[in-house]
Amino acid sequence: MIDLQPFWITFQLALITTALLFVIAIPLAYWLAHSKSKFKSIIETLVSMPLVLPPSVLGFYFLVAFGPSHGLGQFIEHYFNTRLVFSFGGLVVASVIYSLPFMVHPIQSGFSGLSPYLKEASYSLGKSRMDTLRHVLLPNIKASLLTGIVLTFAHTIGEFGVVLMIGGNIPGQTRVASIAIYDEVEAMNYHSANVYAGILFAVTFVILLTVYFVNHRYAITKRL
Amino acid sequence: MKKHVYYLSLIVLLFCGFTSKAQKITVAVAANVQYVVEELIPIFKMETGIDVDIVVGSSGKLTAQIAEGAPFDVFVSADMKYPNELYHKGLATVPAKEYAQGKLVLWTNTHGIQPTSDLKILLQGSIVKVAVANPKTAPYGEAAEQAMKYYKVYNQVKDKLVYGESIGQTQQFINTKAAEIGFIAKSQVLTDEMMGKGFWIEIDKKSYAPLMQGAVILKHGKATNAYAAKHFFEFLYTKEARTIFKKYGYIVSEKND
Repeated sequence: MIDLQPFWITFQLALITTALLFVIAIPLAYWLAHSKSKFKSIIETLVSMPLVLPPSVLGFYFLVAFGPSHGLGQFIEHYFNTRLVFSFGGLVVASVIYSLPFMVHPIQSGFSGLSPYLKEASYSLGKSRMDTLRHVLLPNIKASLLTGIVLTFAHTIGEFGVVLMIGGNIPGQTRVASIAIYDEVEAMNYHSANVYAGILFAVTFVILLTVYFVNHRYAITKRL
Repeated sequence: MKKHVYYLSLIVLLFCGFTSKAQKITVAVAANVQYVVEELIPIFKMETGIDVDIVVGSSGKLTAQIAEGAPFDVFVSADMKYPNELYHKGLATVPAKEYAQGKLVLWTNTHGIQPTSDLKILLQGSIVKVAVANPKTAPYGEAAEQAMKYYKVYNQVKDKLVYGESIGQTQQFINTKAAEIGFIAKSQVLTDEMMGKGFWIEIDKKSYAPLMQGAVILKHGKATNAYAAKHFFEFLYTKEARTIFKKYGYIVSEKND
């Protein structure tokens, strides 16, 4: 019998990661798009690092940092009474960092692409910065927001290397679908591996198809 | 045009020269025996002039790779089951031959924990995570599970278990203190780097099925490096090799001289 639990964990992880990143990325992307600070380049580089770093580098750092014998891990264990290695919470934290550029980049380029007049017009009509962001800027970059959300979600589903290094393959907690596939292949259960892989393939296909479809429609309505 | 052909043949000739001269084999090695094999390689090279590359992983993973055509010449497994499986599939030229018997240890690198042979230590609240190798693919993981069941702690410990993909990753989990304690191979605590690090205790052999470890010559080895592969395989059973196996805590039978 095929165990579907790894999929629930994967989708929970992707959902929580996406929600957290959405909240984190909007102010960050806004700042990156408008700031003239000299730290901007440094922050931009840091945000992009997970794109190019091998997941094993991140996994190794997380393993050491989250472990109970090092500063951060000790602090979290002491004050929050939880351990981030080998736990679902740890996977969430790792995924947020790992998928950060996938949320920030689209939103940032969305903000950068908006005409500055839009913001200025809103300000001169007496709207606050917060109101401007919520009612003027964000509604105008819906396509970018959607791209960010979907890419983050899909990328978290595809996460493997980091989870392999800090997850510990615990059923019901950290055994995500990609790990389950790896496991079944190793154990030569090609049938289960096939089913898992097929489901993941189909789900990611549908997700991406939806984005392209919706984005295409946005583009058309914008032109009209 | 003629010139091109000339250069091309020169290059081809060069490559031919290299391949026939430098004998080299690739050996797939179960993670627990890697230290022994690493120590065997220079001796083997000195005696025969044959170079050896090793690929380390869990026995199950290596078996799956070999079944899918990985170009390994000899397979040094952590059990008899996986190499025999390859033999029955026609991917190994001989049935698995035992080279040593492994021992399971309980190891901790976390201060203030003293491993006990009855495994009751695992029930303590101070132990949050217990590392074992994935029992599906790693024979030492299977043995660890048997031992926990034998001492009747498995059901209580189950929720503390974290699984390394091989005994090597399991050791790394304990070494980095990400898990307070865990089951690994005795050979791993007897390496130079691990000597004197943390505490370990040998698990009573009666609590798990004997970890008989076997090796095979693979079909690929026979086809491409017949002489070198056979030589290395036989080298595992020599007196020299046995001394090194013993040094790393393995039991070796003296009869196959």
